[in-house]
Amino acid sequence: MTGVRVALVPGVLAFLPEYAGQVDPVAEVRAASLAAAAWVGEAGPVTVVGDPQGTRVGRRLLAQSGAEEGAGSAYLVVANGSARRNDTAPGYVDERAVPFDDRVLAALAAPDPEALADLDVELAEALLVGHPAGLVRLGELLRGARTVGVDHVSDPFGVAYWVVRWEGPQP
Amino acid sequence: MDLRLGRHTFGPDQTLMMAIVNRTRDSFFDQGATYDEGPARERVRQVVEDGAEIVDIGGVRAGYGEVVDAAEEIRRVVPFVAWVREHHPGVVISVDTWRSEVAREVCAAGADLVNDAWGGHDPALVEVAAEFGAGIVCTHTGGLPPRTDPYRVEYDDVVAAAIAETTSLAERALAAGVPRESIVIDPAHDFGKNTFHSLEITRRLGEMVATGWPVLVSLSNKDFVGETLGAPPQERLTGTLAATSVCALAGARIYRVHQVRETRATVDMVWSIAGRRPPLRAIRALQ
Repeated sequence: MTGVRVALVPGVLAFLPEYAGQVDPVAEVRAASLAAAAWVGEAGPVTVVGDPQGTRVGRRLLAQSGAEEGAGSAYLVVANGSARRNDTAPGYVDERAVPFDDRVLAALAAPDPEALADLDVELAEALLVGHPAGLVRLGELLRGARTVGVDHVSDPFGVAYWVVRWEGPQP
Repeated sequence: MDLRLGRHTFGPDQTLMMAIVNRTRDSFFDQGATYDEGPARERVRQVVEDGAEIVDIGGVRAGYGEVVDAAEEIRRVVPFVAWVREHHPGVVISVDTWRSEVAREVCAAGADLVNDAWGGHDPALVEVAAEFGAGIVCTHTGGLPPRTDPYRVEYDDVVAAAIAETTSLAERALAAGVPRESIVIDPAHDFGKNTFHSLEITRRLGEMVATGWPVLVSLSNKDFVGETLGAPPQERLTGTLAATSVCALAGARIYRVHQVRETRATVDMVWSIAGRRPPLRAIRALQ
């Protein structure tokens, strides 16, 4: 029996079918996110952790990957890093963004649940981080977990995207 | 409904650019620029590169001018159709002719579509299209004979007249054996019409689209644009594109044009505004 499965995907609105163009501008991160959603879905019904927009994105990924939404021992957390990483980013540049994202990514990769639980939410909001509360929640979910894979790290539009998978002990 | 033009099939939401290629000495816009074989071939190469799905080859000027009999029209057009068929197999070949004897020769040489710009003047034309599996364009001319200009023409309702004439031609084509998905209607701006008529046809094009027959519009640099804006033929592109936008919003499927790239961009933009075409690539505020 598998343990708890947790995956993090970014809340990219371009994942939603109502915003589909003819050319997919987020093909790589979409593929990684779909694979992660499918992987958590293998552990049974999946709880989506996200703000209202992120929840829409998470549900879409689950539906598209054939996973089922519901309470169980699988979690899809929809959150991402800063949207102020450079001067083409949606929030323009903030010098604090890259170091902040680096610290969060290190905590995700380790994983370091305490560092995530102690996330500076005020700074995260100033840096237009996607759903800081979701990252804080990861601090709870990842206690005793090990990292299965850091599948995707990119910032093609000045927004930090991470797709990471973890497995925890049986609940 | 899918659109089937000879060898080629297009989906129900696809718009098509039909590039004008004149094998004439005296057409109003290009003034004989592609009368000779070399420039005509170059024109086809260029419009195909520009994304035209259809080339509309014509051997006779629409308006008054030098006499071009069927034999001369065949000489101008048929070998050229064969050349296009051989060198550009991906493009739909349309031939602008009202003569069934010319249509027979061009269909045998590989034409996919017969553009009957003179609205059924030769009743045998649809039979040729049916026999060869070619598409047909049914045009409203208000009964005007080929190569004549309208003089003091009036209608109770020009749109109703255009719908009545084109759909009755379409039904006749259907009865003659042309498949429904290969029949197109064209209100024919300027043909048998004054500028007010052509403006009204443009404004009410949605009524033609509502007939369910795919609609072709031929607006390119025409006199109704020139008279509306006080612009000579070479300065009518902006007005042409404005009229194109209105027709695209109404749902016209085929655009007979001189300037392919400009019209394609205009139609794509309007088609997306109408919600019939997704943007090419959208990421703004969606990252």
